[in-house]
Amino acid sequence: MRRGLMKWREDELSTDAIAARVANLRAALIGRGLDAFLCYTTLVRPAAVHFLTGFTPYWSDGLLMVGRDDSRPVFVTALSKRVGKWLHGVNPTCEIMHAPRPGLKIGEILAQRGIRRLAVLELDMMPGALVEDLKAADDVELIPGDDLFAAIRARPASSEIRLARRAQAIAQNAFEQLSLRLQTVGDVVGPLERSVRGQGAEECYIAVAPDLESASGLARHHHATPLAERFAARISVAYNGVWSRFTRTMRKGVPYSEEASAHLGDIVSSLDISRAVSGQLAALLEGTPVSIDFWSLEGPVGTRPLAQVATKDRPVEAAIPYGVLTLAGYDPGGRFLFSGLVIPGTAREALEAA
Amino acid sequence: MGILETRRNRLIEAMHAQDIDLLLLHGSAWRGDYLRYATDFGILEGEALALVGRDGEITLYVDDPGEAERATVECPDVRCIAVDNLVEDVAEVIRRHGNRRVGAGPSAHLPYGLTRQAAELRLVDATALLDRLLIIKAEDELDAVRQAARLGDEGYEVFRRAAVEGREDYALIAEIEAFFRAKGVDDNFMIIGVGGPEVRGMAPPSGKKLKRGDLVTTELTPCFGGYYVQICRTLVVGEPSVAQLEAFDIYKQAMEAGIAAVRPGATAADIARAENDVFRKHGLGEYVTSEYTRVRGHGIGLFLDTRPQILEDVDMPVEEGMALIVHPNTYHPVVGYMVLGDSLIVQQDGAEVLTRTERRLFAQ
Repeated sequence: MRRGLMKWREDELSTDAIAARVANLRAALIGRGLDAFLCYTTLVRPAAVHFLTGFTPYWSDGLLMVGRDDSRPVFVTALSKRVGKWLHGVNPTCEIMHAPRPGLKIGEILAQRGIRRLAVLELDMMPGALVEDLKAADDVELIPGDDLFAAIRARPASSEIRLARRAQAIAQNAFEQLSLRLQTVGDVVGPLERSVRGQGAEECYIAVAPDLESASGLARHHHATPLAERFAARISVAYNGVWSRFTRTMRKGVPYSEEASAHLGDIVSSLDISRAVSGQLAALLEGTPVSIDFWSLEGPVGTRPLAQVATKDRPVEAAIPYGVLTLAGYDPGGRFLFSGLVIPGTAREALEAA
Repeated sequence: MGILETRRNRLIEAMHAQDIDLLLLHGSAWRGDYLRYATDFGILEGEALALVGRDGEITLYVDDPGEAERATVECPDVRCIAVDNLVEDVAEVIRRHGNRRVGAGPSAHLPYGLTRQAAELRLVDATALLDRLLIIKAEDELDAVRQAARLGDEGYEVFRRAAVEGREDYALIAEIEAFFRAKGVDDNFMIIGVGGPEVRGMAPPSGKKLKRGDLVTTELTPCFGGYYVQICRTLVVGEPSVAQLEAFDIYKQAMEAGIAAVRPGATAADIARAENDVFRKHGLGEYVTSEYTRVRGHGIGLFLDTRPQILEDVDMPVEEGMALIVHPNTYHPVVGYMVLGDSLIVQQDGAEVLTRTERRLFAQ
């Protein structure tokens, strides 16, 4: 569950910014002759509803419906009315309804409003029971809404990129505060967690590769697992609903920033993810003591906060508004893992101009 | 025999008993207990499906490559495959298994892409089969619950010490989470309430600073080795008022009455009634309704809020081997929202209370 700081911060993500996203969606609905758009949210798949409302559920699930007209988007949640005050405080952009079966309630609304052509995001991944409730509404055609949403979602937005950068900075600060006397996995994950959440993160997942010489898989290990001379840790951070990842390789007793791979941050930040990544990486790494044998690019896609959209062996499959690039390879110290935030070149230029 | 082997043996035995050839289990970080029962994988991102054969062979399909990497490290005896299209790729595997009877669950969470093909894939609902295994635990599972309870007590001590005047609620939670992560706690369900009579429940932290006189309520629900245990306690920043102490005494009486009602054969309703009667005796019957409170306790285990829900209209009998929390949490009209709850295991002769933290209104 989400148990970090959750509050509406108008200065970080404004109601106007949300309204602009909803307006884009409405224009797309009208352009395609659709009556409304529907998407599902849980703490696992919150990204689409967050994009359209700024809200992430800490628990339970819900459905957001955006009509093509000017009426407020409707969010139906299975959370009870007892948390209604909290919900209104963190989700001021839409009309909130409580129903133990959100699908049935949306079905009623579809009937009341005469909605016939409903675009649905990721219909096949919605809980089947909820879709059956939804289908109880007569004469409603459920139309795949993935492409429609993807076209809107892929546009970079300065507010979102600022939040992603904030998430990245939180993770970086956490690494910088780490003690140099680390002996076990528990010594790494406890302080990282404290720092990340103490800086106001909404969520924090930490994975460690405790001995890079023997295995580079990042996982949750027993807290007493000893750290080898060279190890890596990854923090996945959500800040105000926007996710990033930060992975760094470390040696015992040495600040992470002194590793050769740490300097990849400058290279990654200069990548333009709206162009082919492999060629750029090869050019940027030429002449450096670093070799790469794997990379992957993740970004917000549909309901997923971060989903893989490209790898070294697979070209970019979906346009994304920002991304996280993960690299694995060798530097003079041995095996390394690295990840950091990347944004499209056009967005970077716009932010710098602002 | 390890705990995972125990679970898998029980699972396969249940599959044989119900003539199920193949079991399809769905999981995500929201509801991961069915998946974890068979695979022991604590999923965080994306969703996963596991296929369990009657021969004990288990394959885990995940839609996030990072999670696949993690599963490979954390669950080395499970074959793990990262897939592009979770629904279609797994449906195709089931089709290749041919004319089999496939049990699937949990029914409320199975993706529509699979349920719409239920007839073709020969899916039958196996939710009840899994529920029974999840609710009535084997002895080594109960040992894991006991271990988690000890961490719950230690966690509350950390929480209590960290709850100092001027600290923000989210910074307080950061302390708990740091403690839990360093101790190997996989996950923690935790909500918090800070304030006085204006506070009617608990929610995620919102940036409130603790001030003198505030009630600070929390339910900590650490997950250790997959098993969740809950502890609910209330503290006061500064010295408690007489009204706060008097109110708390009602919650203590209610919880103890609820725990005393726990025994095999009693129903969830009996426990809820025992708790609620204490409030009614003190003229607070209005505050045990759904307007002010959700449940008076619930099952715990691989999911943090499992059956039975402790409510006066739930007639599910309590059985030996269940793990429960009894918590008469609700709003009090004079002092605000208060919580108090202990986790327990249902034994032949009543409740084995796991929570060791004192049942008092703590002052900080």
